[in-house]
Amino acid sequence: MNKAERESLAGLLPFEAEPQLPNARRRLLKEFVMVEIRRSAERPRRRLVRPALLAPALALGVAVAVGVPALLGGGTPAYAVSKNADGTLTITINQAKDPKPLEATLRGMGVNAVVDYIPGGKRCSPQPRSTSFLSRQEARNPADGRPFHIWPPNTDEPGFRIDPAAIKPGQTAVLEFSVSADEKTAGIWANISNGPVAACTLVDSDEAPLGPPPGWDD
Amino acid sequence: MDMSLRARIRDGDAEAFEVLFEEMARPVFSHAFRLTGDWSAAEDVLSLTFLEAWRLRHRIDADGGSLRPWVLGIATNVARNLRRAARRYDDALARMPRGDPIPDFADQIIGRMDAAEQLAAIQQAYGSLRRQEQEVFALCVWSGLDHAEAAQALGVAVGTVRSRLSRARKKLEKLAAERQQASGSRQVKGDHDSVVRSVREENR
Repeated sequence: MNKAERESLAGLLPFEAEPQLPNARRRLLKEFVMVEIRRSAERPRRRLVRPALLAPALALGVAVAVGVPALLGGGTPAYAVSKNADGTLTITINQAKDPKPLEATLRGMGVNAVVDYIPGGKRCSPQPRSTSFLSRQEARNPADGRPFHIWPPNTDEPGFRIDPAAIKPGQTAVLEFSVSADEKTAGIWANISNGPVAACTLVDSDEAPLGPPPGWDD
Repeated sequence: MDMSLRARIRDGDAEAFEVLFEEMARPVFSHAFRLTGDWSAAEDVLSLTFLEAWRLRHRIDADGGSLRPWVLGIATNVARNLRRAARRYDDALARMPRGDPIPDFADQIIGRMDAAEQLAAIQQAYGSLRRQEQEVFALCVWSGLDHAEAAQALGVAVGTVRSRLSRARKKLEKLAAERQQASGSRQVKGDHDSVVRSVREENR
């Protein structure tokens, strides 16, 4: 179909402007969709882990909860880090308010990681936060076949799975979690930097909340 | 060479899917709005389209061009069977963020006083087409797909797209001519506003 044909047809029903979804709304709907598709990988259990759900896993010896320091009012941990039999870690976040205790827990477990929570409408500045991130290719397909962020998690257990073995000496892992209005985590962006990582200063943004902008490693 | 976006999405790469959302959210919303004529339904179609795209990602061929026809095809199906799609994702839809004031589309199009009337007239003319003609018209004319892409989006033959579009054109031209006659000789032939203006005058 050529341009003239399209224009003559368009002239028969002249919508004068494109109906535009405002940026803030588009961002909210994107976060919603991304949470849902990640949630769909966690079926059959759809909720974030609760202690009652964690118990059977403990009994089976599948996972050992290691770091459970910060408790919410009702005694629910704000987050938990469980060690899986294969050496990977599962991070579950019930209340994404302060990322530093989680970061400290990971460091206490020998994982050199920087953790940040990114609320809606914000992103980290600067981005990229390192000039020496692994490219997406390298991050996904490392030589030893053990990527840092394991996706899909291949487990019924909800949460984010990382493999500390992917972090080599001198490297720093960066974990950014997007956070919804009710302080639940929505998405994760994870990568490994060979060099220093800039601290995250939250700035207003209507771009994607996590990680460097699209095309950063092209 | 980096894997194509297609291949990455097919393999379940959520980050790649996010890139697709960024690229396609606007065209999908516009398409959905034109098919449904309703802001809130268009938002539902937008969300459901991407939930469906993720569910159906295994059907993507690793090779091929833009995913635009595929995504707009899903959006067309979702808009056509909104209730059925909503049932599949009723759990998810319950969690969908709502409560923002719905923007007034009439305010958005232009500051003209007759914007809402004009929109209503366009929707009325569009509504006179059969559903299949509406879909082809929206995909080819408003979303800019060519015949082959629209055929791919709808899962029909290219010839079918051509004939539906041609029927749509005939109906709209006939409608325009009838309304022009009805509104008297003041109308300038070929004036793009003619459909709109004549409908408005007819309603007086």
